[in-house]
Amino acid sequence: MDRRYTILAILLIIAASGLLFLPDRSKPKEINPQELLAAIDDPARFISTDQVTERIIGADPALQLIDVRSPEEFRKFAMQGAINIPIDSLLIPQFKDVLTQAGKDKVFYSSSDLAADEAWQICRRTSVPRIYVMKGGLNEWFNTIMKCSEPNATAPSQDIDLYHFRLAARQYFTGGSQLNSGQREGNSGASDKKAEEVKVVKKETKTGGGC
Amino acid sequence: MVGPLIPMGVIPQAWDNVFAVLLGMGFGFTLEASGFSSSRKIIGTFFGYDFVVLKVFFTAAITAMLGLLYMSYTGLVEFSMLYIQPTYVTSAIVGGIVMGIGFSMGGYCPGTSFCAVAIGKLDALVFTIGMLVGILIFSESFPVFEKMYNSSFLGPKLVTDSLGISKGLFAFLLVFAAVGMFWGATWVEHKVKKVEY
Repeated sequence: MDRRYTILAILLIIAASGLLFLPDRSKPKEINPQELLAAIDDPARFISTDQVTERIIGADPALQLIDVRSPEEFRKFAMQGAINIPIDSLLIPQFKDVLTQAGKDKVFYSSSDLAADEAWQICRRTSVPRIYVMKGGLNEWFNTIMKCSEPNATAPSQDIDLYHFRLAARQYFTGGSQLNSGQREGNSGASDKKAEEVKVVKKETKTGGGC
Repeated sequence: MVGPLIPMGVIPQAWDNVFAVLLGMGFGFTLEASGFSSSRKIIGTFFGYDFVVLKVFFTAAITAMLGLLYMSYTGLVEFSMLYIQPTYVTSAIVGGIVMGIGFSMGGYCPGTSFCAVAIGKLDALVFTIGMLVGILIFSESFPVFEKMYNSSFLGPKLVTDSLGISKGLFAFLLVFAAVGMFWGATWVEHKVKKVEY
């Protein structure tokens, strides 16, 4: 056989065996910076307090609220069904199963949405699927649901529906029963509303080829 | 700069077709330069007097594989962004048989047949017309084949994932197998009576 081909074959085998002995560099698995930037730019990760409330009341089995504040704050007040993973413990192996469980929308919240967004970024970088941030955090939730204000009589009907829904939600969370007849109507109206699904738009790449 | 360049947005999507044309010209030139526009050369693989098809395509595959794996390791290519052709088991088997029969009967694969048409080969012209008629028949009767066409869909599956071995080990085994095959093919070539064409 031609000596050149023998040399080329040996070179190929050397190059291939190099792959066998390369040290593993695949961990930790992070998404690339461009993808992360695009994801940070995309507001689809934010879920409004109303959407979260609706899903809590509807007992949505796919909802998993995650409180990223400290355990003390969590003990004082937490949202219904929430679990506490302080932001500095997010990458601890014991929480890995919670964060990666299939079929659950993990919604982070904190007092505002700053810490929650930070938690979201940490998880996004480690490719945790289906993660969201409650827009405005607990403060916003308190302002919109617990301290909801009545819109003007001339306000659009969506605003009035929303107000009725929030009143009903407040009653649900506080156990209060002081509603006037108009508000009761609102309550029944709210239960008809369907939970909105938040969809994450995935970038698809399609390039094919062949002989 | 991290590849793949177009999916990563380094080069705009609009350049896709420009690259397709340029790469196609390069591919065509290489096929013609390696003598692939002769049906006798390709058919040599089946009769055992010329294994250049096997050698060229296997070399291309393992070179690309090693390059990709090394570039992925050094961070020049983002492996997860590569487009992986999805696997349809039944279609692949049936299509492979049909293409193999066409290949050995006509002495061309789709790419080489167009190369040969470009330099004016009549047999290649007949082959491409036959191929286009075949495409037309398949497209028109697609509803008949649709169920089989879409059956046993596995998604974009990699051999390494199915076997549960590392990409490096698979690459090494494949290169080893390829070199062994090159050696075996050359041995057969020496044994079989040389055909002049």
